[in-house]
Amino acid sequence: MRISTNQLYDQNIRAIMDNQSGLADTQQQLSTGKKINRPSDDPVGTAKVLRMTEELASLKQYQRNNDLVTGSLEQQETILRNITDSVNRARVLTIQAGDGLLSDADRKALASEIGQIKDEVFDLMNSQNAEGDYYFSGYQSESQPFVLNAGGPGNAYTYQGDSGSNEVQLSNSVKVRSSASGQSVFEDVPARRNFTITNNSGITVDEAVVAGQGDFDTFYKNNYDPLTAANNNYRITITAPNQVEIQNLGTGNVVATKDFTSGEPFNFAGIDFNLQGGTGNTLDFQLDAPQKKNIATTLHDLQQALNNDELSDAAYREALSDALVGIDNGLEKIAFETSSIGARLNVAQSVYETNLDLEVSTKEARSAIQDVDYAEASAEFAKQEAALTAALTTFPRISNLSLFNYIS
Amino acid sequence: MSGNVDLYSIATSGVNASSRLLATASNNIANVNSEGYVRERTSVTSELYGGVGRATTERVINQFAQNQLRRDTTLVGEWETFSEKTSAIDNLLANEANSLSTGFSDFFASVQTAADDPTNLSSRQLVLSEGEALLRRMSSLSDFMEAKEEELNLEFTSMVKHANSLIESIGELNKAILVAKGNFKDSEPSALLNERDKAINDLAEIMDITVRESKNANGSLLVNLSSGESLVLEDGSFNLFELSDNADFMQKQLELATNFSGSKPNTDINIAEEDLGGALGGLFRYRDEVLGPSQRDIGQMAVAFADAVNSQNRLGMDLDFQLGGDIFTLPELSGLPYSNTPPTLALSGQFTPGKGNELTDADIRVSVTNVTGAGVPSEVSVELLNGDGTPKLDENNQPVLFSNITLNAGYTEIQGGIEIEFQSAGGYSVGNQFLVQPVKYSASDITMATSRPEDLAFASPVRGDAGNNNLGDATVVNTQVYDTDVTTSFFDGAGGLDAGAPAQIRFTAGDSYEVLDSGGTVLSTVTGATDFNNLLAQAGAGLNGSYDISLEGIPAAGDTFSISYNTNGSFDNQNALELASLKQASLVQLSTNSSSEPRTLHESYSTLVSRVGEESSSASIALQAAESMKVQSTEWFDSVSGVSLDEEAANLVRYQQSYAAAARILSTAQELFNTILSSVR
Repeated sequence: MRISTNQLYDQNIRAIMDNQSGLADTQQQLSTGKKINRPSDDPVGTAKVLRMTEELASLKQYQRNNDLVTGSLEQQETILRNITDSVNRARVLTIQAGDGLLSDADRKALASEIGQIKDEVFDLMNSQNAEGDYYFSGYQSESQPFVLNAGGPGNAYTYQGDSGSNEVQLSNSVKVRSSASGQSVFEDVPARRNFTITNNSGITVDEAVVAGQGDFDTFYKNNYDPLTAANNNYRITITAPNQVEIQNLGTGNVVATKDFTSGEPFNFAGIDFNLQGGTGNTLDFQLDAPQKKNIATTLHDLQQALNNDELSDAAYREALSDALVGIDNGLEKIAFETSSIGARLNVAQSVYETNLDLEVSTKEARSAIQDVDYAEASAEFAKQEAALTAALTTFPRISNLSLFNYIS
Repeated sequence: MSGNVDLYSIATSGVNASSRLLATASNNIANVNSEGYVRERTSVTSELYGGVGRATTERVINQFAQNQLRRDTTLVGEWETFSEKTSAIDNLLANEANSLSTGFSDFFASVQTAADDPTNLSSRQLVLSEGEALLRRMSSLSDFMEAKEEELNLEFTSMVKHANSLIESIGELNKAILVAKGNFKDSEPSALLNERDKAINDLAEIMDITVRESKNANGSLLVNLSSGESLVLEDGSFNLFELSDNADFMQKQLELATNFSGSKPNTDINIAEEDLGGALGGLFRYRDEVLGPSQRDIGQMAVAFADAVNSQNRLGMDLDFQLGGDIFTLPELSGLPYSNTPPTLALSGQFTPGKGNELTDADIRVSVTNVTGAGVPSEVSVELLNGDGTPKLDENNQPVLFSNITLNAGYTEIQGGIEIEFQSAGGYSVGNQFLVQPVKYSASDITMATSRPEDLAFASPVRGDAGNNNLGDATVVNTQVYDTDVTTSFFDGAGGLDAGAPAQIRFTAGDSYEVLDSGGTVLSTVTGATDFNNLLAQAGAGLNGSYDISLEGIPAAGDTFSISYNTNGSFDNQNALELASLKQASLVQLSTNSSSEPRTLHESYSTLVSRVGEESSSASIALQAAESMKVQSTEWFDSVSGVSLDEEAANLVRYQQSYAAAARILSTAQELFNTILSSVR
């Protein structure tokens, strides 16, 4: 083929340019460490890398959430454990207070210790986190959840918050509860179920007290009617000198008939009655509406009872029973929440580890797509370099070959 | 045969011929670097009565090689422009700093962080900053593309100008060649031919042309677009290109203005840009296939994102315990009148709040199909268009057209999450058309609606509380919020619920409950409930339009659950979690078929990136192929028509010797003459 002079030059220049641009590409790959330096280098790979990068960003955020929620849950666990310890001490004291040999001064001493425990528990129930948010006030974290309402009747410590609790996302599918409201942990504690005598015609009541709390609770649970108040009214009628009949006033049904001796105790649904009266006399009582009492109030009421010299022995016993049941129910709720926190911490831990594994494998997969294989790229670079060197060396030699150099 | 006297003329003709040959060789050497130069060859023939005849000089050219080269030049021209322009977008998207993917991740991560501690103002502030940074990323992408569009229009103008001047000079060269051929019968006007070939090649780089010899064989060349339209005519007249636009003045169209001589009326012919080929065709293709769609994709993502965040935020309650408002302000739209519509008439549009996931990347052509007596449009039809003005096709390959849309007073919702309003008082007529481009520039135009971190509505505006004396162990697991609009929902907008709103659930049995309002009126009764999810939906009677409540656990008769405005609920993060979950939500509509499943923000961004990457990589492969073909044809052409210095060097020596020899004839003739003279002396 005829070769024109320009062809010769063009060919060589093209070879040099091609080699140079190839070298520049390989050099960029080597210097950035990436095979994909622009989407067109590998469009499908780019989309995958974007997806994986996004996944890694999510994982990073989930791990950060996890750290936060773990810290917060551990904090709550500590608070609840402290409360449990204190309340357990109060429980021991309550049992001590039942010792009939205690003098008024001894009771006062117990009262003062109970008072201190109460203050401590009250303080812990109003714990705040580092941001100044209250742990146990539900959504209304700016306002103190429990406040002292000493003047009024009923709960001495009232709850101001709500039942809201927050969740934190730990993975695409797992959310865990990161907070608990004071409502569910402290406030939603049933007080001791009890009854009240409402009417009495001709009966002398020597004793009417819940002795078997378990039996009474079962009866209460089966029979308490929250909708129709009348169904909670019962009448004990002495139908014969040796018999009493217990009738539900709302439904009219006779629920029980008991052997009766005036002045001798009998038991109905865990209640010990000791009545005196004659045939036809009646005694009305009602099941008290269920009440909730937080542990601070329970301790408060206990302290009041211990401090009160005027209290009858029966009332004092009742107060101690109230306190014991209140403390036990309160501890149960707290234990429930503590174990729930433990479970959530376990979930958080296992999600954390799963996320770590995912992170490692995603990083590996991403690296396989976008990172350069140095060995391969270096070899490629050497190859291109050799080709360029060859082109550069041969070019001047070819261009020197001109007939003009030989004619004079 | 003739005698000695003739030696002189033979010698002269020989010297002349050699000198012509030397001149041609020298000319070839001198022009070795001239662009478009075709090597020449001088051929001489012997004369009948001795001596050498007149030398004729011709270009050495292979028509087929030339045509092939021209075609390959067109191809390279097209792919070179397309690939160069596309790689600019490719590189833009490669830049980590511009990555919307990172922007989305950062924004939603900041929402998560803020959700972990909803009362923390600094983490709320971070959400706003990340939102602003994301807007900046979007607008810098969109601004870059807008700048590219402007640059492109300048390039169109200058390229069209260049093409026109080439067309003009081809026409003039045709005339000049005609004249030169008449004047010099023996020799070609090589320089003019070279110049014309070069002009034609230059034009071929800009667009795909075909070149034919004139039927009259007078040396004129006719140049046509490969789609048929004439550019240079036989008589040396020519047609020129013009750029025009309709509705969107940034969207240039190519037209050919005829230049008929005589009484034939001139007209403007629309050119099919997709068939144009060459660098100009490459530019149009880049605009219609890469730049336009990318611009609209970014805009669509931006609007879908902003609208989704706004809608979710409106369903929440902010840190001031007010119902949430907008975080981002979406731009107002305006309709661009087509050329058949008086430019004084106005059409404005806006995005329908909450319908960002119905938005498509389409441009919309609104045509007035009916007007009232006062000239106010009462009915329109709506067509969805691609960026280049061609109709969007549905799954059956039919244009997407919605007709007989009746207009309301004020804004009327049309397809794809857009509302329009004809704002002029009257004067519209049937056939008026407007172009609405909802997403073309919108990524640049979204702004922050608030700078107050308190305005982020992380809390749910309602909360459910279990009654304190409940006997069952049911608790409220969550509340859903569907609508917080003061006019349509149970929210009164003043930190409370309407008087007749469902405010309490009271169980009358384990599986039956009543829904009561705040005054204690029973709104609805449900019996035989099998689960306790969405209690208000189960109650029906339109009670669940605004919010709903779900329980977990087993309720007992007499249990109550109150529903109230979440006053002081600053620690609630329910709505923040919903906001964060938008990351996985399907927000970006893929097709014009609004029933198809939208994609997530991340997915649609990575689709955009990989699509541009694919365009760019296939363009660079096509460019390489075209270039190697051009190399082949250049080699072919050059091997025929290129100057070889070695060859010319040999020729120089050869012609020098023939010149010397011819000169020697002269001296021999003179010697012979002298011999004769001296012999007679």
